[in-house]
Amino acid sequence: MKAILTDVTKCIGCERCVSACRKTNDLGPERPYPWKNEDGLSSDHWCSVVTKDGYTVRKQCRHCISPACASACPVGAFVKTSEGPVTYDGKKCMGCRYCMMACPYGIPRYAYDSVVPYVRKCQMCYETRVSKGLAPACVEACPAQATVFGDRERLLAEARTRLAENPGKYVQKIFGETEVGGTCVLYLSPIELDFLSLGNKLDDRPMPSRTVRAMEAVPPVFIGVGIIMTGLHWTIGRRIRLQRERNGLGEPEQHGHAHKKDGDL
Amino acid sequence: MRKLLAVKGSLWFLVGAAAAIAVFRFWRGIGPTTALTDLTPWGFWIGFDVMGGVALAAGGFVIAATVYVFHLERYHAIVRPAVLTAFLGYLAVAVGLLFDLGLPWNIWHMIIFWNPHSPLFEVGMCVMCYLTVLALEFAPVVLELAKHPLLQKIYLIVKKATVPLVILGIMFSSLHQSSLGSLFLIMPHRLHELWYTPILPILFFLSAIPLGLMMVTTESLVSSTLYESEYELPLLQGLGKACSWALWVYLAVRFGDLAVRGVLPRIFEGGFAANLFIVEILICGIIPAILLSIPAVRRSFLGLAVSAGITVVGFVMNRLDVGGLAMIETTGTRYIPSWMEVVISLGIVAGAALVFFFVAENFALMHGGPMRKDRFKLAKPKFHPATGVIVADPYWPGIKRYSFRFVLGAALAVTLMPQVARSGKAWVKQPVHPPAYGDKIVIDGNLNDKAVLFNHQSHLAVVEGPDSCAYCHHMVLTGAHATGCARCHQDQNIPTSIFDHKLHAESLKAGPDCKACHTDPRGRPGRKDVEHTKPCLECHTAMIPEGAFVKLKVPGKIGLAPGYVDAMHGLCIPCHEKMDGGSAVPGLANCTTCHSGAIPAFDPLSPDQRMQALKTKAPEPSPSPKPSAAGSAGK
Repeated sequence: MKAILTDVTKCIGCERCVSACRKTNDLGPERPYPWKNEDGLSSDHWCSVVTKDGYTVRKQCRHCISPACASACPVGAFVKTSEGPVTYDGKKCMGCRYCMMACPYGIPRYAYDSVVPYVRKCQMCYETRVSKGLAPACVEACPAQATVFGDRERLLAEARTRLAENPGKYVQKIFGETEVGGTCVLYLSPIELDFLSLGNKLDDRPMPSRTVRAMEAVPPVFIGVGIIMTGLHWTIGRRIRLQRERNGLGEPEQHGHAHKKDGDL
Repeated sequence: MRKLLAVKGSLWFLVGAAAAIAVFRFWRGIGPTTALTDLTPWGFWIGFDVMGGVALAAGGFVIAATVYVFHLERYHAIVRPAVLTAFLGYLAVAVGLLFDLGLPWNIWHMIIFWNPHSPLFEVGMCVMCYLTVLALEFAPVVLELAKHPLLQKIYLIVKKATVPLVILGIMFSSLHQSSLGSLFLIMPHRLHELWYTPILPILFFLSAIPLGLMMVTTESLVSSTLYESEYELPLLQGLGKACSWALWVYLAVRFGDLAVRGVLPRIFEGGFAANLFIVEILICGIIPAILLSIPAVRRSFLGLAVSAGITVVGFVMNRLDVGGLAMIETTGTRYIPSWMEVVISLGIVAGAALVFFFVAENFALMHGGPMRKDRFKLAKPKFHPATGVIVADPYWPGIKRYSFRFVLGAALAVTLMPQVARSGKAWVKQPVHPPAYGDKIVIDGNLNDKAVLFNHQSHLAVVEGPDSCAYCHHMVLTGAHATGCARCHQDQNIPTSIFDHKLHAESLKAGPDCKACHTDPRGRPGRKDVEHTKPCLECHTAMIPEGAFVKLKVPGKIGLAPGYVDAMHGLCIPCHEKMDGGSAVPGLANCTTCHSGAIPAFDPLSPDQRMQALKTKAPEPSPSPKPSAAGSAGK
């Protein structure tokens, strides 16, 4: 599985990755939409450089190993490819924006201005470059080798070496190694990178695992409710009938009455 | 009669307004009509229409179960209205969803592209199936009036299938009432801890039961009031009792869950979310549970009406909280629904209510058959005592009144709609007229009563050509007509480097590691700060003449040059010589050095006068920056 490793200490904040991304993906002119976030990402901006505590940090899709967006999408428009990138197929999309709600990093953005709007996010240049064995455009554009592309295992090893060589320089942690089940965009950083994610702090549990139990319960609950309801209907109906017979009430009349109502909603 | 006319008239008004907005929603896209943002992609339509609509429709399966599964025959009288309410509720959900989906014409994709891991997939499938089941459950009410032999045959088949249909309906309902809660299991990062729990689906199911019961109660009380028929109090009293039990169970599970997760103390920590929780739990649980546990309250019309109202409002609030309000604190969103979103939602509900009235008046929905036949049609014409003018059967003048309300609503909505929503063009490239007073205009771009000469043409060239007006002219922001200068010239009032990096990189052939200038004693490449960058003076040895006022922050390094407002005005050298000749402190980073009371206060109505004032009083900016000293300082 391929991955991107970004070393925040090496980033000089030149934003060449951003312009390479916009050029490669042909994102058109930038507009001051009122629905944009402060982080700089939008439907025409799939990668941005965020300034925090004097450091410049690149923000892009994390390409989670078990992506929340792919699990949430009701039509399966998001796919985790074997090479690593999480891709999006606009032809399947129906625009429900559940992916945007589910993403723990708040990455997918929506082209609200369009009459035919699609979800937009970084796809790690899957179709144009990564599937052909090339590095993503942003990595290739980086002048300082602050962001590098390669095998995830190899990059993790590289990151561990850097952590060991300069223990004082970094927070002793590879961001993205384990959080939400691991991501394919890894960071080494001298500061905590909580600001890249959205809302409450996350643990290492993959996001899709949180719905799995509820979703697995669906078929048994469906059949179970059916059986219980049918059983109750039959049992209670029989008990009422028996009681009426025992009480010696006018059975045919009562029964007929009940039956008539039964059919007539 | 008057009450009914008034209610229906207002409903038609809302439907008209919503219909007008709906046209623009689909014509111009979702962005201009709604206030949705990238941070809050689910807004009022999901929270109210979808979440609230499904919850309010819960009465259908609860009452159907009571009558057909538990054989409580005496509730038979309210089955039909309950099933119709459920059907209309789900229809409202489906319609609301069509508004909210970005690509509503792709809604059928769910049928062919399956993703069984997605709770939304399950919700969608269940809504589709349950709508079909509800339509079949309700079909006898319509079909029993049909004369055609084929329709009568279908009627008999559907009637026989009632019990299986009801059970199927309960199966689908319990599934997706709960899976509406499962939707939010994947959002622990968004949802506040007081709401996020792994048993969210169970809570949603448990709350659907009391809500369904109270919705049926509300609907029965309202239609009895409007059609002036007798209240079905004995029946509703039973529903109230069941509801109180269901509410206590719900409250026990909800607080049990909070206790197990150990977040009970967070209820009293204050702040928006905690207070929201307190209000919600009071009105969607504790208050109605207590009220309905008192037999005297359940027996009285007022008691039932109040408890039913509180419960319905409370649980709709609960769905709105989970669907958005409980995320405000965690995500820091600033989303407030636009009035058009709210009107669309109200219009959908109003439409559903009108269909309900229509069915009630034309089919055997209620206890005593169709409402209109015996009440309205038979009303004899009366004569007005003073004028002698005939006062006709109010049913038919009603129709005229309704269409007037509809048109009025539509017209009002279109009139009040902001320009962006109507034209949808704020974000689309469009040809524009040049500024009325030529290319050089006086603007007060920063809205601080200080004007500058602004060259419109040269700004057009810098931004993306003649079609990029929206870049500066924000028609969407109320009260703001154009972007302030500082939006782009962010550093206009702070000292800024005028150093041309690209030129240096090219002429020095710096290479990718930038080592030519960004030197680091430890050999790291490219650290972009003052300490690790070669000082300008190392190459530009004659950069600071003797006796200059420039003070160096880091000895030996130039640091930052004066703000580029000065450079842009082409003022550096001429004004340095003219204004700062004898001064010890250069005042050029300060606008008032030149703009000292020479410009009258901003009056947008007479820009030409201001132009005159500027031309005569203010020093004329030199046409192009002189390359001599400013150039060498930069390079």
